[in-house]
Parts: sequence; structure tokens; C-alpha cells
Amino acid sequence: MKAHDKDSSVRGRVLEIMRMSTEDGPGIRTTVFLKGCPISCGWCHNPESIKPGPQLQWISTSCILCGICVATCPQGALTMTSEGIRIDRGRCRACGNCAEACPSGTLELMGREWTAEDLAGEIVKDRAYFETSGGGVTLSGGEAALQLEFCLELLKILRAKGIHTALDTCGMVPPAHLEKLLPFVDLVLFDIKEIDSKKHRAFTGSGNEKILENAKFVASYRKEHLRRHRIWIRTPLIPGATAAVKNVAGIGAFIAENLGNAVERWELCAFNNLCRDKYSRLGIDWEYADAALLTREEMESFAETARASGVNPAIVSWSGMTLLDTETGGKDREADAPAKPRAVLKHGCATLRTMED
Amino acid sequence: MKESTAYQHGIKEPSGLSPRIRWLRDYYFKGNERAWNNSFTCWTTGTPWDEVFNEMTFYIVPETFVLFSPLCGSYLQAARQVPLHADFWNWSIAERRAWFVKEVIVNHVPREVLPGDLIAGARFNVQTSLCLNSKEAKEWNRLVRGKKGARKAVKWFHDHGYGNAGATSGHLIPGHERLLASGWKGVHADLVQKYNSLEKNEQRGEKGAQLRAMITASTMARDLAHRYAELLRSMASKEADNARKWELEKMAENLARVPWEPPRNFWEAVQALWINHMLIMTDENYPGPGVSFGRIDQYLFPYFKKSISEGMERDFAKEILKCFWIHCNTAYDAMIKNGHQGITAGFGQLLTLSGMGKGGVDMTNDLTYLFLEVIDEMSPILEPKPNVRLHRNSPDELLDILVSMIQSSQGAPFLLNFDERSMAGMILEGERAGIPHLINRDNVHDYAPVGCLENTMVGNDRSGTVDNNLNLLKAVELALTGGKDMLPCFDPMTGKTEKMRRDGPATGDPAKFKTWDEFWKAYAKQTAYIIPKCVELYEMSESIRARFFPTPYLSCMVKGCAEKGIDITRGGAEINFTTMEAVTYATTVDSLLAIKHLVFDTGACTMEELVRALKDNWKGHEVLQARAKNRAPKYGRDDDEADDMAKRVMELWCEETWKHSTVSTKRRFRPGMLSWNYWVGGGYIMAASADGRPRGQFLSNAICPSNGADINGPTSNSNSVGKALGGKAKDGMGTWGDYINLLPNGASHTITFNPSILRDPEHREKFKAFLRGYAANGGTALQINMLDPDMLRDAQKHPGDYRHLLVRITGYNAYFVTVGRELQDEVIERISHNKM
Repeated sequence: MKAHDKDSSVRGRVLEIMRMSTEDGPGIRTTVFLKGCPISCGWCHNPESIKPGPQLQWISTSCILCGICVATCPQGALTMTSEGIRIDRGRCRACGNCAEACPSGTLELMGREWTAEDLAGEIVKDRAYFETSGGGVTLSGGEAALQLEFCLELLKILRAKGIHTALDTCGMVPPAHLEKLLPFVDLVLFDIKEIDSKKHRAFTGSGNEKILENAKFVASYRKEHLRRHRIWIRTPLIPGATAAVKNVAGIGAFIAENLGNAVERWELCAFNNLCRDKYSRLGIDWEYADAALLTREEMESFAETARASGVNPAIVSWSGMTLLDTETGGKDREADAPAKPRAVLKHGCATLRTMED
Repeated sequence: MKESTAYQHGIKEPSGLSPRIRWLRDYYFKGNERAWNNSFTCWTTGTPWDEVFNEMTFYIVPETFVLFSPLCGSYLQAARQVPLHADFWNWSIAERRAWFVKEVIVNHVPREVLPGDLIAGARFNVQTSLCLNSKEAKEWNRLVRGKKGARKAVKWFHDHGYGNAGATSGHLIPGHERLLASGWKGVHADLVQKYNSLEKNEQRGEKGAQLRAMITASTMARDLAHRYAELLRSMASKEADNARKWELEKMAENLARVPWEPPRNFWEAVQALWINHMLIMTDENYPGPGVSFGRIDQYLFPYFKKSISEGMERDFAKEILKCFWIHCNTAYDAMIKNGHQGITAGFGQLLTLSGMGKGGVDMTNDLTYLFLEVIDEMSPILEPKPNVRLHRNSPDELLDILVSMIQSSQGAPFLLNFDERSMAGMILEGERAGIPHLINRDNVHDYAPVGCLENTMVGNDRSGTVDNNLNLLKAVELALTGGKDMLPCFDPMTGKTEKMRRDGPATGDPAKFKTWDEFWKAYAKQTAYIIPKCVELYEMSESIRARFFPTPYLSCMVKGCAEKGIDITRGGAEINFTTMEAVTYATTVDSLLAIKHLVFDTGACTMEELVRALKDNWKGHEVLQARAKNRAPKYGRDDDEADDMAKRVMELWCEETWKHSTVSTKRRFRPGMLSWNYWVGGGYIMAASADGRPRGQFLSNAICPSNGADINGPTSNSNSVGKALGGKAKDGMGTWGDYINLLPNGASHTITFNPSILRDPEHREKFKAFLRGYAANGGTALQINMLDPDMLRDAQKHPGDYRHLLVRITGYNAYFVTVGRELQDEVIERISHNKM
């Protein structure tokens, strides 16, 4: 957490290390969520992953309301209210003193610093499971590629240890970063969220030109350098945003035309909103809080669109949570209809995580 | 958190059952409503001093302590008198007992065959007279119930939070393979030959008496089988249905032959196995627990192969096994009329499938798969309990089937045993006990688990796998107080509080300790006190059993007894251990870590403050408790510092355990971690612990991390367990290959998974890979549970106990207790509908 000035080793800011991850590439993986993201998707499930710096978080569940943090904070940023500890984000400098003092671990500084070597040591602990499953490490975020030097060093160490490596990227990164990382990456998980650049800007704050260029770059790099890295494209389907036939067909056409057979898999990921509480904890009104889940039929239909979009149909798959049968029809549903918020997204830019532990 | 079993959900329905099996299964589950049952029948010599109940076998079940007097009384009251042989009172206890048990089961206990059943041998639960003369009975009474008797001693040990110990029945794997191969005829001939070759004075001595008792016992199965054969012939003669008539005649033929003669086919072999097995429960007056079958898919395979080649249909083999299944379950009828007493709940007659053979070859065969089909089709059902042995070369086909069974049963309807780690422990045991001729690299693959997961050799081994259950945490408590109980002992029965005194060694006032090392030394001293304390307690019941409770029938089935002319209860088996099962392991490790962290490393409190907080059950010390719970390191997170402490604790208590043997029977103590359900009940007896646990909250279970400590998921949890057991030594420098295992008995490990891990073929592959990874890194045995709605509802009520509970919903991962109530309900709904 504090600067270790004497140590020359590069440090990365890590949001979380998730072991036995089964969703971020092949096999059993350790997914490292790095902090900081260049885009801000309205539906983001890791709002705490966007800022590159550390952030303080308070979770009510195990707080014993002892008030030690309030007394500890040098900025006077914490107050005890009837709803618990309130963080004045304008004052908080994320120094971590309160988290250090907190006896229950309910105040947590998200974004710990790690050296590549220490982190690699943590990752290789699951080597046995990587080997039996064809798994490895996935660098995710936030946007991992933004922390170039750190990722580079980490990937080099892991490669030398024979660990399979995957990079999960939103694509909005300098191509030079990708160029440096790709030689050490076995699999790229590449998000293409929206094919219409205007809409992309509206949803995420940026157009998609750079992303699409980078997608092409990753595919062509593979060809030119005879690299064997595989590419999986991931598309989050967000109701009222990216979940549109035109978008899916458009992304498919883009893949077919530009990425060709470099893409091994194209995953459509159904939206959920299990992270609603994170937003409320951060005091943010989340525009997708009330968005309903997609139905299984809708997802099947999107998958059908994808398969007919010009790509090799075999690469298309979908995942994520859909409405329960009991929620899509029948009397029970009508009572609490219309849009009782329903759970669960995965992957926008990153698998949604909560951070309490 | 409450333990959830695969059987709770009621989602899985039995399938593929014939009308015959469906009827038998449904009839069984009518329970108390059934006209027929296998409840204990009780039999007395009719003497005024007679005893028919051996309470010592339940000393490891504290819930039954209050029942001893009523049970002793009511069994005796219900007992029918058996006319005795003219010479009865001139015989040794072993001869009396052999004759009496045989007389009861062959000539007095009624015999029935249920409609459609293909296996005979119905009632076997009995309480038979201990066959003591008045002098012996008086002595038994004094030793068991006297002021300094075993009953008082075990109660003291339990009430003071140390645990329990008692010479318990069952819990071994008899030599079924040998019995089938030679038939009882062969065993009998061998015994007669051994007896005849004794010198005259030896014949007149104890050895001769023991062999005579065993000779009597060795004809029990034959005589009972012949009675069943008579019954079946008479049933057949009255049977109108031709198909059933044929079956009854065939069964009569089977029983006229086996188990006296060696079986010639699969049906005969299963019939013989059943009779041989059930009579152990008769002989020991003990309904089932831990009387295990060993590698049944291996030793029945030749009979199966032969019958298949002679035209037996595969389905008929399954039909025979399903009848066998029903018979195993009737063991539970023992107390069907006076209420189940916990002693008959869900453990047991374990059978072992698959596993490696000599040279690491996989031994899975067609019969293995047939057994798995039977398990799948019969489940949910409690008995027999399957344990599947896995190793690094287990075939994919086997794992595919196991994973699909786990998926359809919402949890594993079997335990998994892991060969490499287990075998490393067995080899260690052979070395430590100086019996490498009995356990070595060339035969260790023949091992099999008993009861649940307790590894032993087969056919020559009694290792008392549930006999000693010790709360390691007691040593931490004593180190914190300089040798006294933390809280005065209160007896709710008498309403009295005992006067506080120092029981353990005086290790000094810990407040004066300047370094962690001083505390560790005090802890080590107290550990070296509680273990021999348990050893002493065990000696009481062990020596009484050795004097008064021979089991000559069982002795015939375990190699060594005939050779030595010594009953199995006196240490006759070739391999004789008794197992110290450590309870509260993770709570102990975490408490030590917390003391080190709070008092010595961070100075968050003084030792006095900590002890005060524990005496106050953390009331008024919530900040310190929160620190203990949340800031101190914990075992189970693959954190090397914490896991090193775990290993240190492990090495310490194991070393101490190996030092001891029973005096009366010369059985060496060996270490293990089973901890059955004591972690629940013990939580109410033991004072608050330094890991932040208040009194009344559950202790840790077996080798599992403390509840809530496992926050890094299944791989880190498993890695910690593997490290605690000793980890690995590279380049084959372990005890078995790279593997080290300090616990020859093995250790119980449970992991709860999210159903979504099995949601599609891709994820099922990942789960298989996890199991293979576990074989490389994990422990000796694994129980796989799936998240169930009840657990989640409990988590809503007690979020603090479930901080680690990660729900994974098709790729979305969240700690359950941190998502809002509404979304929690949603998750519960989804799990209930199996729609993750």
C-alpha cells in the first residue's frame, strides 16, 4: 500500500485475485483483476475497478460500528451515521489508515500494490489445477493492459514457469501495449460490446474505432508472427443497450470480415444486475438497476443471429443468467411485474465481483 | 454452518428400479409402520446378575450417556431366556459367548424372507447376554459403573471438554475375500487343525479356550444358512408363481451351500458375503457402524465374470445387489421401536470401489461401473456407504460417471478417497510401528477405508478408527490458564458446579510470557498432557472389553487371531492400532495464530486482556473479538505462514500420539482426523476460543478450515489441507512418491460447491480437473456437497458465519452475504430450481 522506494521491482495495483475461476478462459484459472479502466460502461459491474488509484470501501455486513475508523482518519472523511459509516469521498485520500485499523475488516482499501514476483508466487500455487485442467492465469480488470510494465513482468515470470496466460481486454489501449504483451499471451479475451461507434460512445464514453482496430491488430499480429495465441471475443448483451439484433449482426459481420478464423470463440454474455448493491454502497444511481434479465428465448435468438452473421457458427456460445420460467409467465410473475430488478451480469469489461473479503 | 449431506435435498429420485426392488425399497422406508423389522431382540442367560448391554461401545457417543441406565434396564427387561448347555458355566467367557450368540441366532431369532427378496438373512440385530457368571458380573459392574469406573471417567472427560474415548465395536474390514475363497469350511478346518496341534496344557489354557470358542463360532453361519434353506424350501413348495418359485428354490440351493462352501457364482458370493457380514453385527451386538466391506468390486469380480460368462444377465446382477442394499439398510432398525438415538444415523457399512493396484495400475472394472449404477439407481439411500478411490491414473470414464452422479444427486452420493496421499500415510504407519512386512510398497494398494474414510489394511487390521476423539483445543485452553479449565464445569443433571482445580501441568501464568515461543512451549506441554490423558481413559474400556467381551466370530474373520489364539478384542489381529482422532484442529491452529497475532506480533491486547475476553465469552470485548476473527491469519487460505503453524500443530500432536500403546492389548496409537459430529456438540462445552469463536458456536470439523475462514475458494482450501498433512517432497522423496501424509488414518475434508460448476460439459470437465488436482495437492478424502437452499437461508440469518460463501451464477461471482436481501432471495430461488 505504501511506496516501497528502495525496491526496483515494478508494482501493479490489484483489485482482486480470484482463484479457481472457471469463467475467464479455458480450464481452472486464477484471474487477476487490475485496477483502472479507460472506458466507463454504464452497466459496469465493477464500478470500483474504473479508477486507477486505490479506493476505500465499507461493507455493512460484518461492521461492529466500533468507530475506530472515524477516530483514525486524518482527513476527517468518515462519520458514523444511523446507516453506518459514511465516507466523504471528496475528503478521502485513500491512505488506508482506517482499513489498517479496522478490527472487522469491513473497511477495505481496494487496489493493493503487488510486485510481479509476489503475485506470480501466489498464482503458481494452483499450478496442479492448471495442469490438470489446461488452465492458467487471466489478467483482467479494469483494463490490465494499462499497467503495461507490471503485466509484462508478471507474464514473463509466469511464462518462464510454463503457466498458460490469458489477457482479458476491453480493447481501448494503445496498440503498442498490446504489441509488447502479445508475445507472452496464449489467449486474448477481447470485448467487442457495440458495433455502432456513436452508441458505443453513449454507452461507454468512447467511440469504438480504436477497439476495432486493436481487434484487427491482435488477429493480424497472430498471423504475422505465427503466434499461436487464441482469441475469444466477448459481447455483453445489455437490455436497452447492446442487446440488439443489429448490434449482434454487426459485430458478427465485423468478426467475419476482419478477424476471420483467428477467433476460436464468440461468447454472448447475458446481463444481470447482482451488483446493484455496490452502486448503492457507492451512493451512485445506477441506470441499469431496474433492467430486467433477458429470457432464455431472447438469448437463443441472439445466438441464432450471431450464428447467421457470417462467422463460423461453431464459435458462437452464450452464457449468463436468464429469467426463471416462473418469472417469464404465469400468475406469480404478474403480481410483482413489471420489472422487479433481476440479478446477474457477467463480464462487461470484467467479471463482476464484490470485494468484501 | 450446519453440515449438509447429499441426502437432504430430496431432489434425486430413485430410478431404474424393478417392481421387486421398488416394493422392497418403499417397504423399507415405511420404517416404523412396517410389520417386519430388524429391531434388537434381547436374550438372557436368566441369571439374576445378567447383563445384556455393553454400553462401552457407545462411549464415543456423548448423546447416549444419559440412556445407559434405561437401556441396560429395558434390554434386560425385554430379554427372553435361553436354555443353556449343560456345561455352559464350566466354559471360558469366549466359549460361553460363542455358544450363546450362535444358539440365539440359529435357534431363537425368527427367520423371514421378504417378498421378492433374492438374498436371505433378515434379522441380525440382537442384544445377547454377556454370559458372565456372578463373580465376573460383579467385577464388570464395578469396573464399568463403579465410583472409579469407566462410565464416570468418560463423562468427566467429555464434560471438561477433552473429548471422549471408548472401545467401540465395528470399524474394520474383515477378510471377506479369504472367507469367500475358503468358505467357513476352510476356516473351520484350519481352526480344528490349529487346536489339535496345541500341546495338551495349551489346550487347557486360554489359547485352547479361545480356539474352541472360534471353532464354535465358525459353524454359526453354516447352521443359520441351513435354517434359511429349510425355510426357503418350504416357501417354494407353497409358492404359486413359477418365477418366484424358481427363485426361492435357487436361494435354498445357494444357502445349502454357502457360506460354508466357497461360492461358485455371483449370486452365491453376494449371499455368502451378506450372511458373513450381518453375523458380525450379531456377534458384536452392534448395528453396523463401520463394519466395512473393503474393495468389493475387486474380490467379487471373479464371481461376476464367471456368472456373466455363464449367461447371467447384467441386470440380474444389479437386482441381486439392490437386494443386498436393502439388507444393509435394515441395520438401522436396531432401535426403530425406541427411537433412533443418533448412533444409527448415516454412517457406515462402507464399500470401496476402484483405486489403484500393484504398480499404480488402475483397477476399475465392469463391476465397478455396475456398482455405480446401483448406487445411482438406489439413491437417495443411506447404506451401504460407497467410497470411491481415485488416483492420478483414474480413468476419464470413471470420473465422467462420478461427476454426472454428483450433478444429479446435488452432491456426491459417495465419498472420495485419494490413493497417493492415503498410501503415504499407510506406509508411514508400517514404518512407525515396525511392521513393514505387513504394510509396504508391494501391498499398500490393498488398503481400504473403514466407516467413512479411515484408512486401514484389509482382513488383518483393527485400528479402532473411532475409538479416541480428542479436542486439541483443550491444550490451548490449558496453556492460557496454566493448566486449569477456563470455565468451572457445571453439571446440568445435578445442578452442581465443580470446584476449580488444576488438572493439567503447571505451565505458568501466560501473562508473564515474553515471547510467542514461551506460549508455544506451554501449549506443547499441555498437548503432551491431554494425549496420555485420553490414552488412560481408553485403557479403561479397552481392558474391560479384553476381559469380558470377546467376539469369537469376528476373530475368525481377521487374520492373526487364529494364529495367535487370541481374540480380536485382546489384540489378536495382525495389525493392531487404535486411532486418536483429533477434533477441533482448525480452531486450535487459528487460536494459536490469533494469540500470536494479537498478543505477540501486533500487541493488539495483552495476554490478560485476551484471557479475560475468553472468560467473558467475548462480551464487552467485541473489538478484540473482531480482530481475532478478521485480522488474525487463518488456516485454509493457502497462506504459507498460517499453514506452517498448521503443520507445526500437526507434527506435535502426531508425535505425541505415536508414543503410546494400550497396556492391556498392546495396540499402538496412530493419528487421524475424523471428528464425526463432535465439532457441533463440543462447541457448547468448550469455552470461547482465541480465534474469535464464542462458546456455543461450532468448532472446526476434522481437517477442514474453520467455518468462514475459507475465503480463497476450493483450490486454496485443498492446498492448505495437503500442506497440513505434510505436503510433498520432490523427486520421490516422500513416503509414497512425492507424497507425505502424517495421518495414516486419513482426514475428513468437506467442500461445498456451487451447482453452476457442473452446469455444462465444459464446466464438468473443469470439475473433473479439480478432482485430479486434488489428487495432486489435497488430502486423503473428500466429501463433495452442493450449495443448498437451507444453507443459504441460514446464511441470511447468520451472515457472520458465512462471509466466505461465494455464489457463482453462470460466471457471476458474489459473496452471498453482501448482495442485498432481494437478490439473495433470487439466488435461493434459482438454487431451489437448480437453475444456476
